[in-house]
Amino acid sequence: MAADVPVQSNRVAPRIAGPGMRPRRAVATARRLFQSHRRAVRGLYSVVLALVAWEVVGRYVVTSKLMFAPFSRVIVEFGRLWMSGELEHHMLVSFSALAMGFAIAAAVGIAIGSLIAVSPAVGEHIDPLINALYATPLIALSPILIMAFGIGPASKVAIVFLLCVFPILINTTSGIRSADDGLVEAARSFSASRGEIFRLVLLPSALPFIVAGLRIAMGRGLVGIFIGELFGARAGLGYLISISGQTFDIPAMFVGVLVLAVAGVVSVAALEYLERRIAPWRHFDLKA
Amino acid sequence: MTTVHPKLETRGISKAFIRAGATAGQGAAPPLAVLTNISLTVRTSEFVSIVGASGCGKTTFLRILDGLIEPSAGEVLIDGGAVTAPGRDRGFVFQKDSLWPWRTARENVLFGLEIQRRPRKEAHATAQKLIELVGLKGFEDHYPHQLSGGMRQRVNLARALAIDPDVLLMDEPFASLDAQTREVMQLELVRIWNEARKTVVFVTHQIDEAVFLSDRVIVFAARPGRIKEVVPIDLPRPRPFGIKRTAPFAAYVDHIWSLLEDEVFKSSGVKVA
Repeated sequence: MAADVPVQSNRVAPRIAGPGMRPRRAVATARRLFQSHRRAVRGLYSVVLALVAWEVVGRYVVTSKLMFAPFSRVIVEFGRLWMSGELEHHMLVSFSALAMGFAIAAAVGIAIGSLIAVSPAVGEHIDPLINALYATPLIALSPILIMAFGIGPASKVAIVFLLCVFPILINTTSGIRSADDGLVEAARSFSASRGEIFRLVLLPSALPFIVAGLRIAMGRGLVGIFIGELFGARAGLGYLISISGQTFDIPAMFVGVLVLAVAGVVSVAALEYLERRIAPWRHFDLKA
Repeated sequence: MTTVHPKLETRGISKAFIRAGATAGQGAAPPLAVLTNISLTVRTSEFVSIVGASGCGKTTFLRILDGLIEPSAGEVLIDGGAVTAPGRDRGFVFQKDSLWPWRTARENVLFGLEIQRRPRKEAHATAQKLIELVGLKGFEDHYPHQLSGGMRQRVNLARALAIDPDVLLMDEPFASLDAQTREVMQLELVRIWNEARKTVVFVTHQIDEAVFLSDRVIVFAARPGRIKEVVPIDLPRPRPFGIKRTAPFAAYVDHIWSLLEDEVFKSSGVKVA
């Protein structure tokens, strides 16, 4: 009986059509499900299409096992590597170095970016250097960093840090610089100190910029961890990709690529979620 | 012997801004005089408006009163004490959109109390009282983006009142509102002023608004800004809204308009036929 109570509001998560459900209601439920997650569903179309294309190309177009593997083969390989515990080990090695490099980059980038923004003297001295370093393909320094820090996790942390720190730093600086003067003056009229103005006005108004910087940094960090492990490592997803590629184990290689891709999507989604949580005022226009 | 000080006093306030773009070849451009020699006394609980053509320095003057900028010469005294920086004896109501968008209405009102390190409970009680005073009960947890222009200016006013200042400095607070909302806000302001008995300095370019609200209207002349005339408004209080259609009211508006006429045309560049 209870299962037949119609869903009143769109905001209540629609139930999955079950045996007790009449067809018309099942259609309505599906439609509601589609509408409440319209963006996610539409985004899914392209992903599903790409996977189907992958499968078709792998089975019928590029049939050489030395060059390509269909999606289904990659999934099977994923299961095998996961069951053996090998994949988890590679993921742990890669993601711990990524997390550490990213965290240090976030702390340093936000701190120095803030300093540059609030002190014009500091800004004038190091702005050109920062911009030059941001534009430089720092990834080219990876071999040097591996020589300096060894093939262990330290060199990966260093590479990730170097790639991540500049977008975070530059976004923090421009976020604070673009803070509305009126908002700062309003705080001044309440006798807020410089520290209070920074903490209560400048930092919150820079927050959306900082999160955007973190998103860019995350993408660069994923590239960094891959390249770092490609040049010299004993474990990690980059290592898995590189070794599998060299031994023509194409399905295993694609497992590494796939895990990195999913990690990118998940971390960017997580940062978007974080932004909505800490900067909800930016989304009111869209929600209303 | 005790001296009775006026609530607010300015002595010979002048302000000149260094002109940007002074080139070496032509020598330094002379500083741009914005205000010259403004001396003004405001009594406790008095409502004074400043009107003038745009660019007459009335906002600059208000910012000097709050201590947000320093005068080039002269001094500002509150209860006989010199003003050098913003203080808790003054509250500033800004012209537009100076509410912090990441703070709810309540959190905006709480800001000044947080800076003063007031106990949380007391601060929340004060904020609630003021939110109710400005008629925003039920909207405490709304963000500025969820409020209309009129409601935002009510929060702006409550925020300034929260620190219980003696002097309220208001910089064209209703300028961005539509005509109907502006008239509602004028009535609200008079009601709040009656309850809180603050000393108010109110900058506006709306002559009828100034006459309706004020005990005295200070007419500024432009370039450089200076006091052209002080017009006491001898209209009985409480003033019903219909007073705007009475002959004495119209006479005040006409008089102030005639004082401003030359200034307005001068600054807009329109030749009077």
